Amino acid sequence: MDCLEFRRRLGAEPHTHNAELHAHREQCASCSAAWERVQQAESELIAALEIPVPAGLAERVLLAQATGARRQYVRRRGIALALAASLVAAVGGSLLWRQLDARTLPALAVAHMPDEIRSLDLTRPISAQAIEAGFAVRGLQLQGPLPADVTYVHDCPVGPYRTVHLVSRVGNISVAVLYVPGKHGGVARDFHRGDWRGRVVQLQHGQLVMLTDQAGKQPFDAVANTVAQDWRVAIDGLGGPRVSQL
Amino acid sequence: MKRPDPVSFVVNPRQRQFEALTRAHTGDLYRFAYWLCGQDALAQDLVQETMLRAWKSLDALREAEAAKPWLLTILRREHARLHERRQLDTVELNEGIPEHAAWASPERHGEAAELREAMSKLPYKYREPLLLQVLGGLTCDEIAAELGQQPGAVMTQLFRARQQLKSIMHGEHAEVQHGLS
Repeated sequence: MDCLEFRRRLGAEPHTHNAELHAHREQCASCSAAWERVQQAESELIAALEIPVPAGLAERVLLAQATGARRQYVRRRGIALALAASLVAAVGGSLLWRQLDARTLPALAVAHMPDEIRSLDLTRPISAQAIEAGFAVRGLQLQGPLPADVTYVHDCPVGPYRTVHLVSRVGNISVAVLYVPGKHGGVARDFHRGDWRGRVVQLQHGQLVMLTDQAGKQPFDAVANTVAQDWRVAIDGLGGPRVSQL
Repeated sequence: MKRPDPVSFVVNPRQRQFEALTRAHTGDLYRFAYWLCGQDALAQDLVQETMLRAWKSLDALREAEAAKPWLLTILRREHARLHERRQLDTVELNEGIPEHAAWASPERHGEAAELREAMSKLPYKYREPLLLQVLGGLTCDEIAAELGQQPGAVMTQLFRARQQLKSIMHGEHAEVQHGLS
């Protein structure tokens, strides 16, 4: 390293540990003196730049950070609480809805069917006396002509209701018919639960629930209309409601 | 069984790291910021913004030795961002520095004061690498990486920065523009 390079390096990096530079300093008196001057100047420069730091600056920084962090924590906690509340409300609402839904007539009717599933396989019509006896068990007397193709009758409890459970055949479709005497309220509506298609209709003194898992064979709407009309006539009578208590 | 100290139990390691970082480097950052912008209030704002940004990305800091260069990088970016948003007013050094016992010492009117004044007049392109070296403790290579320049160019800037400081102090370059901007 020559003197020019030494001065250039020294002016750029006064605190360098470059071995060549220090070797040259050992050999060159003039550069060694320059090195001493530069070190002195550098110390003065460092001292000059060491201006006082405002009191409490670090504490103010920490306060700002802690305040921001806490605000973020509170906001996150609020969001978490809101999410938890939403989740609880959703789960609670879902449970409540399920509980309420399970008590509806369509849900009770569908839940009843597994116990009576074999009844839909029956194809031989039962007698008018058997049908009338089925209603009589519930203290009911039929008022009109009976449907032609009824294959099953039984007095079944469905949830809290005491029903007359029948099976009507329309074409090659078996339709379970549950007559719920004394039940009122609501309007006629169709329902679809799992494989079951059904309809609830209001008769004069009770409700009729029709359902089948064989709806693919024929349009359910037409089948339900036929069955509902047949049993409306049989239960309420021709030209008006005439089902009566025995 | 001994119960944990409630304070250390509550303060998490990340928070403790940040507090240590703040206490260790706030002074250097303030001085760097002040000599960069020349305004006390602005320098304090820059330090605060720098530390808040550091808090957000504290996980990026893996080694304690890298803390100071990392913070200086954040501060330079904050300063550049501020500069983009508004043209900073040129402020005389004596207007910006608050009165302080140490500052108001006899050397205020001596060579140190002349050096400070000369520093305030040093053009930005020389002042920034010089501050990174003297206050930041960065090597030429580190400054070059920080500024996106070649090490040779940085060496030249550092050499010229010191030359210009001397020139300003000796009044040889009366035409030198005020550097703090």
